[in-house]
Amino acid sequence: MSFDLQKMLESKRALRRNLAARPVAEKLRMLDALRERELAIRRNAAPPDSNYLREEPPPCRTKSQ
Amino acid sequence: MDIKEVIATINQMQADGIVERYAIGGAVGATFYLEPVATLDVDIFVAFKPESGSLIVRPQPLFDYLKARGAAMQGGYIVVAGWPVQFLPSGSPLLVEALRESVSKDVDGTPAQVFTAEHLAAIALQTGRAKDKARLLQFIEADALDPGRFQGILARHGLTAAWRKFERQFLSDAP
Repeated sequence: MSFDLQKMLESKRALRRNLAARPVAEKLRMLDALRERELAIRRNAAPPDSNYLREEPPPCRTKSQ
Repeated sequence: MDIKEVIATINQMQADGIVERYAIGGAVGATFYLEPVATLDVDIFVAFKPESGSLIVRPQPLFDYLKARGAAMQGGYIVVAGWPVQFLPSGSPLLVEALRESVSKDVDGTPAQVFTAEHLAAIALQTGRAKDKARLLQFIEADALDPGRFQGILARHGLTAAWRKFERQFLSDAP
């Protein structure tokens, strides 16, 4: 573990390259998972009566509905 | 929630003659070339088959087709396999060309029609929102564009000045 910023940035670039090079089907499954997680975060981020300004997500249908 | 099922449904819809041609754009389209980035919907660009005797194309058959197969309309989206899908007409010369030159990609045995990386990048430049600029930068940083092909698209669709401005803003070392 190092706190060398250049090494960290290079490590991030390598991770992105690695992700981009994965098979398309695997990347699309990641999109499915990312969307599930994003929706879960948004559902729990703020109570419905709060005064926060927030973007409404597009409609969704979950497996439980 | 399964994006591959969305693609299979659209393929079947095309095979059944509801749309003449389709291509995946937006963040999902970009995922075919870049690392995945979270998105909440799927953008599908379509060309409709004109009805005989009419110059007007109507999207209603598309919605009827999908609703008959269990999809639900919600706002401007139709929810297919848990994903909100937005069907967009190819309403500009750039989109018409992007749709015409879209490519078939294999997703575990399922064919998917997708815009080329260069067209996705040009559309992002033309659309010009912050997230579109971020996507364009992703394409550049990933070295995912054929420069000659990309510049040709920009020249054909009057985007050269927008590209120069983008270069000055994001790709120049000068202050």
